[in-house]
Amino acid sequence: MGRLTSGRAGKKFLAVTGLFAMGVMLLLPIFVALPALAGGGAPAAGGPPPDVVAAQEAEGAEGEEAKVEIGRDVYYKTEGPVVGAPAPKTQDTAEFYPRYNFESRVLLWVANQQHLYYGSFVLAVPIFCMCIEFAGLVSKDRAMAKKYDQLAYDFIKISLTAYSLTAILGGILIFTFLTLYPAFFGYLSSIFRPVMHIYALMFVAESGTLYIYYYGWDKMKEGMLKWLHASMSVVLNVIGTVLMFLANSWIGFMMSPAGVDEQGRYLGNIWHVLHTALWNPLNVHRILGNMAFGGGVVAAYAAYRFLSAKNDEERAHYDWMGYIAMALGVAFLIPLPFAGYWLMREVYAYRQQMGITLMGGLLAWLFIIQATMIGILFLTTNYYLWQALGRMTGGERFQRYIKYFVFILVVGLLVFITPHTIVMTPAELKAMGGQQHPVLGNYGVMSAKNGGINAIIMTTIASFIWYQRGNRVPAVKWAKFGNIFLITFFVVAHLNNIWVACYGYFIPANVRIGLSVPQVAGTLSCLFIGSALNLAMLKQSRELGPIRWGQIAPRSQYALIMLATAFTWMMGLMGYIRSSVRLFWHVNEIMRDNSPWAYTHTIGFGANVISFNVLFFWITIMFVFWLGALGAKKAPVPATQPVPGAAPQPATGH
Amino acid sequence: MTWLKLVEGYMPMQMISELACSILVFALINWSLNRAGMGIPKFWAGVGVWIYIQLYLKYRIYPPIPFSVRAIYGTVSACGIFMWVSGSEDAWQEFKRPVINVMDGISGFHKSMRTVALIVIPLALGGFAYNSFLPSFEEPIELRTVHPAPPATTKVHGKTFVLQVVENPYRVNNEGKYDQAYTDARIVEQAMGRLMKDVNDPNYNPWDPNAEGYTKYVREGGEIFFQNCHFCHGDNLNGRGLWAYAFNPIPANFTDAGTIAQLQETFVFWRVSKGGIGLPGEGFPWASVMPPWEQHLTVDEIWKVVMFEYWHTGYYPRTWD
Repeated sequence: MGRLTSGRAGKKFLAVTGLFAMGVMLLLPIFVALPALAGGGAPAAGGPPPDVVAAQEAEGAEGEEAKVEIGRDVYYKTEGPVVGAPAPKTQDTAEFYPRYNFESRVLLWVANQQHLYYGSFVLAVPIFCMCIEFAGLVSKDRAMAKKYDQLAYDFIKISLTAYSLTAILGGILIFTFLTLYPAFFGYLSSIFRPVMHIYALMFVAESGTLYIYYYGWDKMKEGMLKWLHASMSVVLNVIGTVLMFLANSWIGFMMSPAGVDEQGRYLGNIWHVLHTALWNPLNVHRILGNMAFGGGVVAAYAAYRFLSAKNDEERAHYDWMGYIAMALGVAFLIPLPFAGYWLMREVYAYRQQMGITLMGGLLAWLFIIQATMIGILFLTTNYYLWQALGRMTGGERFQRYIKYFVFILVVGLLVFITPHTIVMTPAELKAMGGQQHPVLGNYGVMSAKNGGINAIIMTTIASFIWYQRGNRVPAVKWAKFGNIFLITFFVVAHLNNIWVACYGYFIPANVRIGLSVPQVAGTLSCLFIGSALNLAMLKQSRELGPIRWGQIAPRSQYALIMLATAFTWMMGLMGYIRSSVRLFWHVNEIMRDNSPWAYTHTIGFGANVISFNVLFFWITIMFVFWLGALGAKKAPVPATQPVPGAAPQPATGH
Repeated sequence: MTWLKLVEGYMPMQMISELACSILVFALINWSLNRAGMGIPKFWAGVGVWIYIQLYLKYRIYPPIPFSVRAIYGTVSACGIFMWVSGSEDAWQEFKRPVINVMDGISGFHKSMRTVALIVIPLALGGFAYNSFLPSFEEPIELRTVHPAPPATTKVHGKTFVLQVVENPYRVNNEGKYDQAYTDARIVEQAMGRLMKDVNDPNYNPWDPNAEGYTKYVREGGEIFFQNCHFCHGDNLNGRGLWAYAFNPIPANFTDAGTIAQLQETFVFWRVSKGGIGLPGEGFPWASVMPPWEQHLTVDEIWKVVMFEYWHTGYYPRTWD
């Protein structure tokens, strides 16, 4: 027994040492690049832009012995030595903006968006894999452990092909920048030079880890090696997250520059350049957004496989996979509006006119479209869950109340998407007697909209609780009390939400902004307390029958595909809005965009390009799905089949 | 129908409540009919509810809702009804049955319905296409930005104001210091009627001869307003002044929650100073005839009149903290 224990301890020690060594190797690129952090700010490879060269030549030799100039940070207001060149003052010439006979901005837009879609996907899926693999590891049910492991493997298999495409699209993006916007890219890379190297090296680390993780799946399938394998997914995700944070720092800098003086000259503090006003809100928003998007895409993959399944086993497996992916995606969708709210609040705090341009001015109608897309996401999620009740014995108990949920969702959505700036003909304007409608105008402002979206989210949470109870009846002694408490809790949360939404009209705006706290608190309480209470009640429950995986209406799968498409469209839209808010600036208030395309597109044109991007992404991802299906020779393991061997059992035959 | 008036100040909740009550009544009627064995088929129930909502929005709500918004509401309510009728497999089968019966032509009646549908639907689509190609003499739709983003700074009477940080110099407490909370407590009641909190107290009644400080500045702002602004913006600041209907669109209604209530005081200062011709590019088509008041009023007068507008409407300017 003692020998066995010491043998296990030895293996554990080896595994931990191996993991540590791998971590050190992976972080090596950062340490190698560290000395570069101090230097930063030198012009990018290829030399500075033409106007800067001319200015430097004009200064001549006298500049060589000039004193160190001190500049003032435009955001942090600190002083630092000027160590970089000023932002180039571009002109509408081929020298600064080389071009084809096509709008360069649209080319860059498409390249950027495609890279972002794939980047988001390959960053999100490993996080799912990590969660699912760990769920399999800790599961006591061997059959379920095997199913989880198979699912995690299925996820990473899709991600691997998409990873190659991400790298290819990243290359295309850089070439597009270099060939069409050389002056701007030169300036940006002169500011971020050390970070860009770290980024590239981190990409190498990410690739290495991903390949070991994928190809080592079978080799590392037992004991501590399995734990080591699962731990690799943590390392993989840490690297992926750092990569994303670095990429976010570039867009953060373009929107809210810091670490440079008024001329755009780098002041030697790379942390200031990275840590701009909008960096952290962007990071949080993007993590959640990527997860929701990744969940949506995997759910669409499962729906596609479900609809094309040839037998009941396949249908059951992909039904289950779709449900898990959807649940993961929606879990991150629920906090997403709150993260978006924080981001917008920071945008307003950074520049009032930027905030008004986004939500009250030029881009306000795009926000109405965004609200519509958010509504579609939540409505579709609810619809899927109601359909899923149909595959459970006892689920019909809840279906008779669907109409009331529909009413709350529809009213919440109508309030949420009512525009503040209404599109109307001059005749309608006259008939209305002014720009503001006395009834609907009240729905157009934030107080009502907060109420609308919180009502939608709370109803979605209630649908999830329904789903959890679909085929089960709580059997705890306090079930009656628990049910009354749960219903009262949701009713009070809804009443509180409505009351606060109305009360918001009678108090100062700054207090009104604070009122979103009790609204959000009510919603989150429903999420955490409601779900926890429900799970506690279901710990001892009577099962009315098994879940009949695979026996779900096909329209539920179309709902999943719609969910994924709505995610994709909304990502494209929000990326466009975020980028457009800079108006005619490459780097806000530092480097002006003097290309012929420095104007804001019409809403129709913008929507068409977004739709093209969505269509292109889905065509290419279908190719990825097809590749994934090519390798799937092995039939999935049914949930009820007993599996020999000790838990956890990984999937085999990969 | 006078007893069913939409009451100002409560209209938004009234509309939602009326719709909720209607749906409950429909559900109750349907339940009763089902109990009596005369349930309404799901298909007709769905179509009926949708038509009711459209009629409600078109004829119940006044002033009329623009078509673009009714189209949004119509689409969303149609989606909602689809979710309801297809929420469960049984409901979906029940909903589809009349349509499938007509398509299959299971009886003479259904066959005739199918024939009518085959004639009417193409004709309706053709008529719709024909109408959409007809030349129209209506003025084009304007997607007007009502509150365009202000610049970071604005120059009035030679002085530059940073709009994000500048404060109204007359929004002060008894000690002469800028105090938003102090002045907020002294505005009129934000409710129907917008009455002064205490007409006998000079701290609340600007027209009291003993009014000092903030309330005195409000009175001065009011005098400026009634000498210059009320002709268009109206005695009650609701955009219904004597000359209001000479313009299209009519002047801004400050009592609406969507105008000054959601703007910073500095935004209003900028808009008043620069007027319609000072609107930025995104304010296209610059449909505002408001003169640039910096040409007629001093900086101090503009600050006072802005403060009066907030006082009179019972709204508070937007702030950051």
